[in-house]
Amino acid sequence: MFNALADPNRRRLLAAVAGSPATATELASDLPISRQAVVKHLSALADAGLLERERRGREVRYRMTPEPLSDAVGWMAEVGGQWDQRLAGLARTFGPSGAQRGEMPR
Amino acid sequence: MPDDHRYIDADTVTERIDRDLLLPASPPEVWEVITSDGWLAEHVELVLVPGGEARFTDRDSMRTGWVEEAAPPVGNSTGVLVFWWGPDGEPGTRVELTLAPEGEASTRLRVVESRPLEALELIGLTLPGQGGTRHGPSMLALA
Repeated sequence: MFNALADPNRRRLLAAVAGSPATATELASDLPISRQAVVKHLSALADAGLLERERRGREVRYRMTPEPLSDAVGWMAEVGGQWDQRLAGLARTFGPSGAQRGEMPR
Repeated sequence: MPDDHRYIDADTVTERIDRDLLLPASPPEVWEVITSDGWLAEHVELVLVPGGEARFTDRDSMRTGWVEEAAPPVGNSTGVLVFWWGPDGEPGTRVELTLAPEGEASTRLRVVESRPLEALELIGLTLPGQGGTRHGPSMLALA
């Protein structure tokens, strides 16, 4: 399955579909490759279980399969929260001028 | 704001936490605190050489791992600490701490934690070699 992600265009497609479900035609307009190539990549991603096809009339929309990633979302929330706590503690250690990203102290 | 909402990243496809914090102290001062007891864990044992052992003990849990890179900042230079950690017997994640001087007396601490191996395990494969070209048939051989 990881091979399905070895290609950069494929990862871009996956990222795009993760944002919102889309058809091959819509996706092809954002990438420097043909619609035919996009369809081939989407098929590989769907075969790998990363995308699902959703047929509506004559249109096929692709969307993310939630399963393999739900664990990722949980991990991000948990581990991200731990780092937030550690960083907040560090900001206290170094005094009130410790500032989160993008802000200058004082 | 944290930068890690894109759980599918177009370039890496790993899960990744990315934070940074500006601190009113020099890189060596920050290094001292983040490698001492109390920050990464209540009790921190780090052998600061590549391959060195790492052990992080809290009251009710322990993580072990190893150091990938340890370059303490000297004066106003940038320091880097990269290590892997995880609960005993579980796949580890990679933590990269970068301490970059900013201005006269500040340090920007950047934290990136990622779990590339976990991501692979998640999708049921062992690490592949460099594989997959756009038109190569190997990408389709996913069974």
